[in-house]
Amino acid sequence: MSYVLTTLTKKKEIDSIIRDTIDKVLVLRFGRASDPGCLHLDDLLSKSAREVSKFANIALVDIDSEDVQVYIKYFDISLIPSTIFFFNAHHMKMDSGTADHTKWIGAFHTKQDFIDVVEAIFRGAMKGKMIVNCPLPQERIPKYQLLYKDL
Amino acid sequence: MATLADSFLADLDELSDNDADVIEEGDVDAGNMEEDIDGDMADIESLNYDDLDSVSKLQKTQRYNDIMQKVEDALEKGSDISNQGLVLEDDPEYQLIVDCNALSVDIENEIIIIHNFIRDKYRLKFPELESLVHHPIDYARVVKKIGNEMDLTLVDLEGLLPSAIIMVVSVTASTTSGKPLPEEVLQKTIDACDRALALDAAKKKVLDFVESRMGYIAPNLSAIVGSAVAAKLMGTAGGLSALAKMPACNVQLLGAKKKNLAGFSTATSQFRVGYIEQTEVFQTTPPALRMRACRLLAAKSTLAARVDSTRGDPSGNTGRSLREEIHKKIEKWQEPPPAKQPKPLPVPDSEPKKKRGGRRLRKMKERYALTDMRKLANRMQFGVPEESSLGDGLGEGYGMLGQAGSGKLRVSAGQSKLAAKVAKKFKEKNYGSSGATSGLTSSLAFTPVQGIELTNPQAHAHQLGSGTQSTYFSETGTFSKIKRT
Repeated sequence: MSYVLTTLTKKKEIDSIIRDTIDKVLVLRFGRASDPGCLHLDDLLSKSAREVSKFANIALVDIDSEDVQVYIKYFDISLIPSTIFFFNAHHMKMDSGTADHTKWIGAFHTKQDFIDVVEAIFRGAMKGKMIVNCPLPQERIPKYQLLYKDL
Repeated sequence: MATLADSFLADLDELSDNDADVIEEGDVDAGNMEEDIDGDMADIESLNYDDLDSVSKLQKTQRYNDIMQKVEDALEKGSDISNQGLVLEDDPEYQLIVDCNALSVDIENEIIIIHNFIRDKYRLKFPELESLVHHPIDYARVVKKIGNEMDLTLVDLEGLLPSAIIMVVSVTASTTSGKPLPEEVLQKTIDACDRALALDAAKKKVLDFVESRMGYIAPNLSAIVGSAVAAKLMGTAGGLSALAKMPACNVQLLGAKKKNLAGFSTATSQFRVGYIEQTEVFQTTPPALRMRACRLLAAKSTLAARVDSTRGDPSGNTGRSLREEIHKKIEKWQEPPPAKQPKPLPVPDSEPKKKRGGRRLRKMKERYALTDMRKLANRMQFGVPEESSLGDGLGEGYGMLGQAGSGKLRVSAGQSKLAAKVAKKFKEKNYGSSGATSGLTSSLAFTPVQGIELTNPQAHAHQLGSGTQSTYFSETGTFSKIKRT
């Protein structure tokens, strides 16, 4: 979708990018390029990629490729788009009031929201935390209910 | 004494004599002046009513005729390059060119005088024409064409004026308050017009000649500013070497019109530009860059003039390359600035916050500082239950506030440290002032017990200021209980 962001399809690529991003937040978006929700998020990501470039790296992972299914199972990705944050090869969790702290599900309302989230993760990580609180107010956090799974 | 008085009187007389002399001389001068003025007035009056010949004398002068003759000859001869070896000033053609410059200025003045003459005469016939057609030569042509005609539809003004003005002129003519001129006056007017047109043609001829020779005399300069302007510059400067010796800022102002007369608006006054204004390069630059372009042109043309005065480059290549430079620079100025790339945000917490300090900040902080009252309320005495707002342990506790030890429930808002410092300075100033207070005041106090005692103005401030010390044991604290016996 975007020409600015790299799309990863192989496990090796994902490994190398996680290892090689030093002292910067790594934002991995898991999703499909054809999905409208993913498109919305991708648009936001590509617009803010340059602004955040000093403290964050952004990459897209295509969930349709086979290599990547390992990661999808590991991170338990069921809804797309899902965004997972890493810092110095540590998986960063964020408490945004939803049940799942390990990833961010859905798109953001505005570019600024995304930048705020990344900044919060960066600050927490620099302090040594593994889990941070979400700086966004509750209205701006997309809520998804796992209705179908429950049924 | 008498002799002194006499000498004084004599001095006075001398003075008055001197004054008288001066006044007389002044009168004589004034008399002369008045005569001159009268003479001028007479001239002006005669200008109005007398012959054309008293007005325009130029065409009769010897000088004019000489120069015109030479110009005609030179124009017929064509360009003559054989004189290159000679020093420039000795060249007779160069001298002729200098004369031509002066002559062209004179011709211009003459044309203006004739224009006034025509205007005054023609005012009886068509007064509004002078405000419609401003240019003297155009005016002369129009007057000649119209003559004594009352009906302008019979007169064809095509080619003389732009069509909009022709229309306005025709409309105004139909409602004009003028009357036809008598035959004599008309003849004089037509003569004046002819003379004006002849002078104009002569001026053109002179200028053409100068232009043609300019390329030979100053090729580099004329490559930059054009031959006509180069000729004018040279003429005003008084020669090529004089022009070369001038600094560029003066060259810029050669030919600049004088300051506006007092009372006229300066809103339309152009910035300080002279003949340079008429160059092609200047006219083609956008108005915003004109000032810079003018300075650039003046500088480069000065360089070219210097090259020319020493005959360093007869081919004119230097001038052409300078002109190219000027063009390039002007184009560069007109380039749009490079597009701005959005800056990435800085890393969070990478720049430490700049903490401010100082008096202002301290005063601001005081408003939110912990007051003594709060300090007391926060602490409790050992073994002494505190009072509370709702009684019985409910509500807010009062701590040491209102305890038996202090004897006060209300704690005065003691002076803050800053205020104490200010008070101290103020007091010192007062006691240190000389003469403002009476000489008997002093900061010493005589007490019966201790003798001389100095009051410490800050003692009161610190009474309850430092809440770290318990007021129970304080030496400056008040009595806790006073028993009446």
